[in-house]
Amino acid sequence: MKKLLALIGATLLLAACSGGVEDFREPKSEADLSGLTLATSNGTYYQIMYSRREDVELYVANIETDAIQAVRQGKADVYVSDEVLLPDEDQKRLGMKMAFRGQECFDVAFAVKKGNTELLEQLNAFLATAPLHDITDHWIHGAPYVDEPPYEINPDAKPLRCVTGANIFPISILCDGGEWRGIDPDILRRFAHAQGRPFEMSFQDLGAAIIGLETGQADIVSANLLVTEERAKSVDFSIPYYQCHPGYFVVDRSAGGRLSLRERLHMNLVVENRWRLITDGLAVTIIITLCSILLGSLLGVGVCVCRRSKRNWLRKSADIYSDFINGIPTLVLLLIMFYVVFATSGLSATVVAVITFSLCFASSSGAIFDNAIASVPQGQTEAGLSLGFTPYKTFTGIVFPQAVCKGINLYIGECIALLKNTSIVGYIAIQDITRASDLIRSRTFDALIPLLIVTVIYFLLAWLLRRLLLLIIKKDAR
Amino acid sequence: MSYISIRHLTKSFTFRDGTQLTVLKDVNCEIQKGEVISIIGPSGTGKSTLLRAMNMLEPPTSGEIWVDGENITAKGYPLDKMRRKMGMVFQSFNLFDHMTVLENIIYAPMELLHIPADEAKAEAMELLKKVGMAQKADVYPSSLSGGQKQRVAIARSLAMHPEVILFDEPTSALDPTMVGEVLSVMRQLAQSGLTMLIVTHEMRFARDVSTRIFFMNEGVIYEDGTPEQIFGHPVHSATKAFVNRIHKLVYDIDSDDFDFLNIHTGINRFCIKYNITDKIEPANALVREMLFERMRQYRPVTIRLTHAELTGVTALDIMVEHLNLSPLTDADRQALQPNVKELIEEPTTRGFRMKMIL
Repeated sequence: MKKLLALIGATLLLAACSGGVEDFREPKSEADLSGLTLATSNGTYYQIMYSRREDVELYVANIETDAIQAVRQGKADVYVSDEVLLPDEDQKRLGMKMAFRGQECFDVAFAVKKGNTELLEQLNAFLATAPLHDITDHWIHGAPYVDEPPYEINPDAKPLRCVTGANIFPISILCDGGEWRGIDPDILRRFAHAQGRPFEMSFQDLGAAIIGLETGQADIVSANLLVTEERAKSVDFSIPYYQCHPGYFVVDRSAGGRLSLRERLHMNLVVENRWRLITDGLAVTIIITLCSILLGSLLGVGVCVCRRSKRNWLRKSADIYSDFINGIPTLVLLLIMFYVVFATSGLSATVVAVITFSLCFASSSGAIFDNAIASVPQGQTEAGLSLGFTPYKTFTGIVFPQAVCKGINLYIGECIALLKNTSIVGYIAIQDITRASDLIRSRTFDALIPLLIVTVIYFLLAWLLRRLLLLIIKKDAR
Repeated sequence: MSYISIRHLTKSFTFRDGTQLTVLKDVNCEIQKGEVISIIGPSGTGKSTLLRAMNMLEPPTSGEIWVDGENITAKGYPLDKMRRKMGMVFQSFNLFDHMTVLENIIYAPMELLHIPADEAKAEAMELLKKVGMAQKADVYPSSLSGGQKQRVAIARSLAMHPEVILFDEPTSALDPTMVGEVLSVMRQLAQSGLTMLIVTHEMRFARDVSTRIFFMNEGVIYEDGTPEQIFGHPVHSATKAFVNRIHKLVYDIDSDDFDFLNIHTGINRFCIKYNITDKIEPANALVREMLFERMRQYRPVTIRLTHAELTGVTALDIMVEHLNLSPLTDADRQALQPNVKELIEEPTTRGFRMKMIL
């Protein structure tokens, strides 16, 4: 516990020390950017646009929150993004301001799978007549919300599966109760309902979302997508539903003090019931971990039996299996399983994650079981046999209990590694506890508190898991 | 009818590279109830393999083993039932490390013979008393000495009330100070009329306790008889050399550029192995003196270092072929004097031999 406190203290100190940039001339137009570092997030149009300008350095963050954070911490000078992504209110809270608005004007549209003309035509027809201004005015300018007309929805119809690559106000945000709101979901929900279909939305990296479009796991991808020629080569765009200007944001040096820790905790946990994202994510993490340990251990017994078999081909196949699993990063395997192997199976992402982690766990736990059994001297088996025990009873009564004692620590270590590994499931749109902290971060633009909270939770989970396993295994071995 | 009958037993191992090693070659023997048989012989002649074949821990390559009128080598024979009647004591004890001494002993009777716990415990305590380990009943094997472990292992075997107990070098892994305590327990068992087969290197014990001795050599029972026959009047020369415990080290030297350091190392190893380190110095000095000085012009020469464990006599023989007169002068004999207790010079059928008792 003392170590943990020291860790938290050190992190807080680091956060407090960061920031503090020397004065620089505020840019007033695109030409002024020369010599400055520009922060943007991966997959945006600005990334492509400014990678062509040699006099501008780019800082590419994974999500918008991190790009903003980079500017606040002085790693970059200017944050560029769609103007609407950082409204006045948020600018004030973050101590930032808009330096200038970009000259260009971009069309924003939805993406569908290339060649899916039927859906594209339906969508275009809907967009041409829908009251899009009602929705954008509400989200951007705070105009009163206009309820959607009473469509007739058939709950049994195939749902319209949408994936958003932007979890950011006002494009699309996950509200309390798991409902997606914002410009994109509100338009798409109406479109789905107008078709009489239920509406579904999930959040993934834009790159993964586009793959999902190709493999048929998603019907429509939205992410405040700017229509560009490059993108039009790989997806089909709807007609634009909105036009946006780029905004260039810098740190506002005249802005007041920071938020207190108490205010930050309140903002990250209490506002909009954000703690529920964490508790829901926690449940998902626990379920995936426990199911994978259970299934993986069962498979691991199989792997162990193969490794110890007298049959050469069984031993060989166990070797090949382990080499195969060990040779692929878990994340890559997870993506392959989700987007290739089980792409059309209709299995939920959670099930695919459990299968993937079980396969990985089977390989490592199988090796642990094998080594534990092999570490019990052959003499123990011979002594058992010579007393008149059957080979089976010799194994269960004499070899196995000793193997458990020898392998238990490695096994528990592997289980905890699995728990920590589950933090990658966000890549296939599962909202585990790590993804929950990402979601909160992208709403509050606060990097520290959500990360700190999940750190503590993972730490406690690992500790609990170790206790639990020790309890179960010790009881079983007796 | 004999209790155990071994017929044309062979056992060979095939290694990964395809080479074959035949350990037992056509072994035949009959063993009666109540016999105490010691199996002796040089290392690597299949003593342990024969013993382990008797309870099928080492399934034979061919041949049959009959126990109590049943062919245990038959396919599908219920070996676990047979093994309950045939206990085994191992060189490495093989106590169950996760159980206390008492649990080690009661585990098999309770699980296999379904003896109630209190009854099994009472009997186990009796057995522990018998082997002198009663006060260690509740400790774990890791805290016992080797001799103590082996006595517990014997008690564990006895708890199943076996007809026969096989002892596979029960004292070989023990510190010399602990051999006695294990042998005395075994002596006691032998007197109780239990059938015992013992692979051992303890010759005095084998001679005193056994009713019968198997001398094994090169994968067969080379000689089979009473201790009196085997130790007193062995028939075969291999048996003779073994029971008198005569050990040899031989080098043939046919040119001047022989590997002296190799001979030197060989002599050191030999003396350390048979615990005659006081002979290292004189043996090396003599070999050097003879080969480089006195016998320089005589080639080929054979040198042979022998040690008889029973009599404690160590001798260095130097033999020269096609020679019937001693090559040594009086001056030579004078020079050898400090390292030699007795010098015997005699012609043999093939040449001339100088035997130097060290």
